[in-house]
Amino acid sequence: MLRIENLQKNYGAFRLDCSMEVLSGQVTGLVGQNGAGKSTTFKAALGLVRPDGGKIEILGKDSGQFGAGDRQELGVVLSNAGFSGYLTVRDIIPVLGSLYARFDKAFFLEQVKRFGLPDNQKIKEFSTGMKAKLKVLTAISHRARLLILDEPTAGLDVVARDELLELLRVFMEQDDNRGILVSSHISGDLETLCDDIYMIHQGKIILHEDTDVLLDNYAVLKMDEREYETIEKRYILCSRKESFGYSCLTNQKRFYRENYPKLAVLKGSIDEVIMMMIKGERL
Amino acid sequence: MKGLLIKDLKLMKNMRNTLIIIAIVALGMSFYTSDMSFIVVYLAVISTSFTSSTINYDEFENGNAFLFSLPVSRRDYAVEKHLFSLLMCGGGWLAGSVLTVCGGVFRDGLDPAESVMAALVLLPVAIGLSSFMIPVHLKYSGEKGRIVMIILMGGVFLIVVSGAKIAEKLGIDFRELGERMPVMSDGMGLAAALGISLALLLVSCKVSIRIMEHKEF
Repeated sequence: MLRIENLQKNYGAFRLDCSMEVLSGQVTGLVGQNGAGKSTTFKAALGLVRPDGGKIEILGKDSGQFGAGDRQELGVVLSNAGFSGYLTVRDIIPVLGSLYARFDKAFFLEQVKRFGLPDNQKIKEFSTGMKAKLKVLTAISHRARLLILDEPTAGLDVVARDELLELLRVFMEQDDNRGILVSSHISGDLETLCDDIYMIHQGKIILHEDTDVLLDNYAVLKMDEREYETIEKRYILCSRKESFGYSCLTNQKRFYRENYPKLAVLKGSIDEVIMMMIKGERL
Repeated sequence: MKGLLIKDLKLMKNMRNTLIIIAIVALGMSFYTSDMSFIVVYLAVISTSFTSSTINYDEFENGNAFLFSLPVSRRDYAVEKHLFSLLMCGGGWLAGSVLTVCGGVFRDGLDPAESVMAALVLLPVAIGLSSFMIPVHLKYSGEKGRIVMIILMGGVFLIVVSGAKIAEKLGIDFRELGERMPVMSDGMGLAAALGISLALLLVSCKVSIRIMEHKEF
């Protein structure tokens, strides 16, 4: 659905050089710190910024050939952009109806009511959570094939986040030929939603893994210096010096559980993996 | 294109107070001035400036980035702004013209045809001004756009005045030149002026498309 090959974009000292792919029927997550290059990657995929190099293929077309008509198939949430804050929900309905041939007005109105969004209040007066809900509803109300969602759950409380994630799951269940690329700071969202996850740091993809593999096979091992000296390091991706000794990230949790039964093996969450990959030293 | 036009018309709701004030000022002026042409230009130009306001509204909180992730091309956007500007300019000109014709006929006892012609003459001026304004606002957003616009206006004024002074020193008499030119009827003159202003609008549209196509969001 989306293939990015060696996408390059330079902003002063920052250099983006990233490759990734979103497959049909899959939800792909992109995680990384602020300024890691997530939004630039999204914007390049959408043609909002011109890449300095590389190739982007979106829904089978080269990004240069992907025109306004093709964007009927896209649903987009941008973290820091949306409809003008001077419009109301009631104002944007005819706009969406005119722009999208398959805009589902009944569904949109139903969801607006469900999420308690005021239909006659200016969007700029909405709370952060209300704005986030409206952005997602706008993206999923025209039967798009590919959703590109940059921080769609930012500013939402736990309940609203769960409701929105459920909407995205239903969106995927309705059609096997759909796909989602999503970024989030809330790793819990990605753990429950994504099939695979890319990790980006300082403009480079540093890890790509299936979410199941990441949660099942990755672990953080805690050990003192003596244990660190003797431990098998073949399956250790990176390590970090701590006050008590070392923390090590592995993608072979079972190996260390079986061979080092006394070792503290902590289940690898996305947050733990991010921390280790970014702050740890590669072996 | 239709979706963008609807969006801009919806944004106009935010300017309704300004619209009411403009209408009151124009009505007030029509009672106290005999130079009705000023009202036509005033209404047409002010109405055209609403296009700049919609450009600012679109840019509010990085809105353009989102707008161009929708099924909207940059070309569509630039064309729509010109269409919207033409609609606004036409609306303002029409309102001003109605006032001018009514004032001319009922207050000053003028021939309606004369008043209509006076109003029509001002239409190319208004279109020409609007074609000048849109690319500047698309290129330079917000306050910067206003500053560039003022500088450009000043520049045009300076060129015209300097040109006239130089011509005078060189002994070129424009009135004499005009008299030597082939005689043109009022209708033909008006059609030519309208043609030139529409050509200017077309050039402005092309320039605006280029500006939008080079922008990053």
